[in-house]
Amino acid sequence: MRGDFLSGGYKQQPGSGGNSIRKDGKRVAGKQKFAPPGSGGSDPVMKPRDLDFIPEMVGGNEKQPAGAHIHDRARTGTIVGKPTTLVDANAKVTGQAWYGDDVRLPNEIIGRIVRSPHHYAKVVSIDTSKAEKLPGVLAIATGEDAPNSFGVLPVTKDEHAMAVEKVRHVGDLVACVAAIDEATAREAAALIDVEYEVLDSIHDMRKGLEDVDEPIHWRGKYHVGTTNVQKRVFQEFGDRSMIEDPNAMYHGKWKFMGVNHGFTEPHAVVAHWDSNGRLQLYTPQQVPHYAHRALATVLDVPMHQVNVIRTFVGGGFGGKSDPFPHEMCAAILARKAGRPVRITFDREEVFWVNRGRHPSHIEVQMYADEEARISGFDIDALIDGGGFASFGHVTSYYNGVLATAPYELGSFHYTGARVWTNKPASGAMRGHGAVNTRCAVEVGLDDMAEQLQVDPIDLRLANLLPPHSRTISGFRITSNGMRQALQKVREGSDWDNKFRKLPLGKGIGIGCGFFISGSGLPIHWDPNKFPHATVHLQIDMDGGVTVHTGAADIGQGSTTAVAQVVAEVLALPIEMIHVRSHESDTSPVDLGSYSSRVTFMNANAAIRAALEIKEKLLNAAWDTLGYHPDTLVLNDRRIYYKHDPAIGMSYLEALHKAQEDKGALISSGAYRSPPMGGVHKGAAAGLAPAYSFSAYVAEVEVDVETGMIKCTDVWAAHDCGKALNPLAVEGQIIGSCHMGLGQVLTEQMVYGRTGHLQNPNLLEYKIPSVHEMPNVTPIIIESCDPEGPFGAKEAGEGPLLPILPAVVNAVYDAIGIRINDLPLTPDKVWAAIAKKMKVDGIEDPSSLPVPRLDFSELQSKLAKRAANHEIRDKRRQTTEDTHAYVNGVLFGFDPNVPLEEQVDGWKSADKPEPEQLAELGLAGKAWLKDEQRHMGGEN
Amino acid sequence: MVGEEHVSMVPAAPSKIWAADVNGQPKEVLVNSNAILLDVLRDKVGCLGVKRGCDMGTCGCCTVMIDGEPRLSCLTMAQDAEGCDITTVEGLADGAHLAPIQKCFADHGGSQCGFCTPGFLVASQALLNENSNPSNQEIACAIEGNLCRCTGYQQIIESIQAAAAIHRGESELPAPASDAHPDPNPSGPDEPTMPPGHAR
Ligand code: FES
Ligand code: FES
Repeated sequence: MRGDFLSGGYKQQPGSGGNSIRKDGKRVAGKQKFAPPGSGGSDPVMKPRDLDFIPEMVGGNEKQPAGAHIHDRARTGTIVGKPTTLVDANAKVTGQAWYGDDVRLPNEIIGRIVRSPHHYAKVVSIDTSKAEKLPGVLAIATGEDAPNSFGVLPVTKDEHAMAVEKVRHVGDLVACVAAIDEATAREAAALIDVEYEVLDSIHDMRKGLEDVDEPIHWRGKYHVGTTNVQKRVFQEFGDRSMIEDPNAMYHGKWKFMGVNHGFTEPHAVVAHWDSNGRLQLYTPQQVPHYAHRALATVLDVPMHQVNVIRTFVGGGFGGKSDPFPHEMCAAILARKAGRPVRITFDREEVFWVNRGRHPSHIEVQMYADEEARISGFDIDALIDGGGFASFGHVTSYYNGVLATAPYELGSFHYTGARVWTNKPASGAMRGHGAVNTRCAVEVGLDDMAEQLQVDPIDLRLANLLPPHSRTISGFRITSNGMRQALQKVREGSDWDNKFRKLPLGKGIGIGCGFFISGSGLPIHWDPNKFPHATVHLQIDMDGGVTVHTGAADIGQGSTTAVAQVVAEVLALPIEMIHVRSHESDTSPVDLGSYSSRVTFMNANAAIRAALEIKEKLLNAAWDTLGYHPDTLVLNDRRIYYKHDPAIGMSYLEALHKAQEDKGALISSGAYRSPPMGGVHKGAAAGLAPAYSFSAYVAEVEVDVETGMIKCTDVWAAHDCGKALNPLAVEGQIIGSCHMGLGQVLTEQMVYGRTGHLQNPNLLEYKIPSVHEMPNVTPIIIESCDPEGPFGAKEAGEGPLLPILPAVVNAVYDAIGIRINDLPLTPDKVWAAIAKKMKVDGIEDPSSLPVPRLDFSELQSKLAKRAANHEIRDKRRQTTEDTHAYVNGVLFGFDPNVPLEEQVDGWKSADKPEPEQLAELGLAGKAWLKDEQRHMGGEN
Repeated sequence: MVGEEHVSMVPAAPSKIWAADVNGQPKEVLVNSNAILLDVLRDKVGCLGVKRGCDMGTCGCCTVMIDGEPRLSCLTMAQDAEGCDITTVEGLADGAHLAPIQKCFADHGGSQCGFCTPGFLVASQALLNENSNPSNQEIACAIEGNLCRCTGYQQIIESIQAAAAIHRGESELPAPASDAHPDPNPSGPDEPTMPPGHAR
């Protein structure tokens, strides 16, 4: 025998192995009856257990500052936590990855969409006769062909495949054609005559709050007056009297432009009705399941007659998560023509579909008391939904409720409204709903720190909610790495030597982020407790593991993550794990890639499924080896007795034993969020089984002569619970920085005076190029979430949030000017500089005053409080301290008694009191109108 | 037929044979004389690895090498590339062996969703052919015409630097992360000796 028992050194002998036949002929460890396919690899020796990747609680060397985790025993040191190449990377680097437009079916024809040239109009008539006569045209469809409405949220099904009665924005779908080639299809589209009756269109979201003759949609008895308000939200928690007599106060009116996802792959779809009359639909979808539901509704076929095949997705970021009208169009055309139809978008059409971040007017008022505690947030967010609801119902909540952490608040007041306007629809985009408000709030904190003369990082550190606590709105926080994130970026950036000390034109700023990791309730509310994610495993005699999952890999690496966790549990090389996630026919339902839910939910389900298989293997080994599974170790394709590794059998032998009389091993694992949250209206919005936290420091250079901003360095700390694949997590952090930086510096959808979108192309819609990218230092914080798979939380969306405020704050540090109007294009910055020079009577921009900081006596108090909280947090994180903690303890309240009983003014409201109506902000005006049902109207 | 007032938007262009070497293979296909190289490569030659992100020269997804020069195929008339040596992403690998640049993009996170990847690979291979010791600034200039929405470019630059090191012979093509064809059947060195009474 060679090598160390516990650390491998076992020769692998595939095929029949002479001396390994036992005399009794029963136990055949080491002997194979047939040469297993795929055997004979170049690594014939069992790898030693990688103790560095096995948690210390179960005998390894991996540090666990946050304590043990329920999945510790499932760790085998195989692959979790190691930088892992994406399992589909080879397809991507060889050009074999098949995206939407790469699906080429025999006999395919090309579809084109006829789009509205008007902002808002009634469709009077559509004359297709000329197009029909064009040789090569094979099918034409209009709204009449698909009268059923759909929408991603069941409460707001306001879309149709093509206009049924009205078009609601330029680019809205009116009709579609399919022809033998693209040129013919384009020509036919131009030949379709549509007669419109133009209506008065609305472009300014503030106008959406007013009563009009012809609202863009009609919600029947729930319609708010005759306005264009799609959704209004009111939420109030805590004690409003705390904000009286503030020690510091911030009031900011913010304007955010609309932003597009800018994924590189334009939408594309291929539809094909197969010989059995089933629809095969190929589409780059983030959420194939909702597309599946919508297709069945619109096409009037049962869901089981539709197979949605997710192609590779060339970037999603939320922009490919709605069911799309063009997917319906392709299916309708294919049904009519009896041939496969492919529709691929121009870049311009991508902008017409949009679903990007909402243009918003956000007003924030924030208050701090004499102890520099945050006594209140008042947020008012009016968001521009464009022509359709999309995810807007949720966005309206997220704009407020996702600001209730990571800080402890004395009170929280939010009014939000989403209005329809005649623009391409806004929807979900990376950091859904949380980004803009977060920017305003974090800049507000910076401003209050300045008034209080304290360091903004210390102000934050002294006001954080601890791990295992509850926010003011009732969200359950579990793991929380906010404090470490702040400390790490402070250290990494050399903050203490730079903040308020850099010369004019150079600045440094901080920003934090907080985001959901999966949404607590599925969009399609279901009384039957249907799981959010389901994973099936199947292992046949060859030993390869097939994973069936509906999780959509959109480039973030979810397929890799699920392969990793299965490989980890079963101690197999990742090459032996084959993920099949493309087809709804073979994949169990997964709710899709949105809300940063995939890794959290899908990997949890996969771990469950893999543990079931592991149990079967260990039982088979028990049968053969005679050792109880608790004493058996799984490592690199081998199962052996803990105390004598010579006693063992190969994975394949155990597998074959387990398959006796049964054949392929199969198992199923599922995940559903635990019940949680409050009971108020909207309590479910923002609920998540875990939350991610992040803190960034950005350094910028501002050219005071031109207003040009360059972000040079970013220190980006993100708490993702546990980095299953650090390579991918770092990629997500840097990528998020890139996208957020675009929004804060250059990106905007510009609507001209007449309401036309002026830059629907990548030339004028400015996405940062490689030259605009700062040096990003990604810092991964691992707080080990108790419910996450191996402790993991999301890393795809949260890291976008802090970059915006960090840059805005850094610009203030550089030139002493706060600009509340994103993006910070040079013209705006220069205008602000020029204004300041005029007001202050400064001749030369190079003599602009820069802010400096003289600490007040509060600073040392805060530092002390932060130090105490650090001890508190450590104890709570490692669950040494399991006492309840709710928002309000910082203000001296008892977490065990309902706050309403302790404080007179403490309340939780979801509707404004009549006397409040007069003081509501811009979006709050939506509450001045009654719903139709309360107006005595009939519908 | 369509009514008289109809004037076709797309005047039919005469078809002709277009010939070029694509990835080392001579290709001859029938194309319209006004065809765009990107369309010819994707639809006629079958190089679906060449991607269309914008069709107007702003994203770089369609980058191919024409006689060694990186070019945007969406802005190139097919006839201008007639008779040239064209290399697409499909032509970078040597059979089943990935080129260093491909392997490095895979292993260093240079590719997330992968849609921009073919363009980046071709552009950076063209750079490495000229200069196997590029500075980060030189790399940035070589890929400035390529847009990536996922990676934030940082890991792309790292990938290209890693590939450059291989080109210079300073490092080896990284060994596969784990065995490509792992043996599913590891067994003990000799017959496991089982303590008596343990067989069930
Ligand atoms: S498709 Fe050629 S540059 Fe975008
Ligand atoms: S990897 Fe997705 S665009 Fe570059």
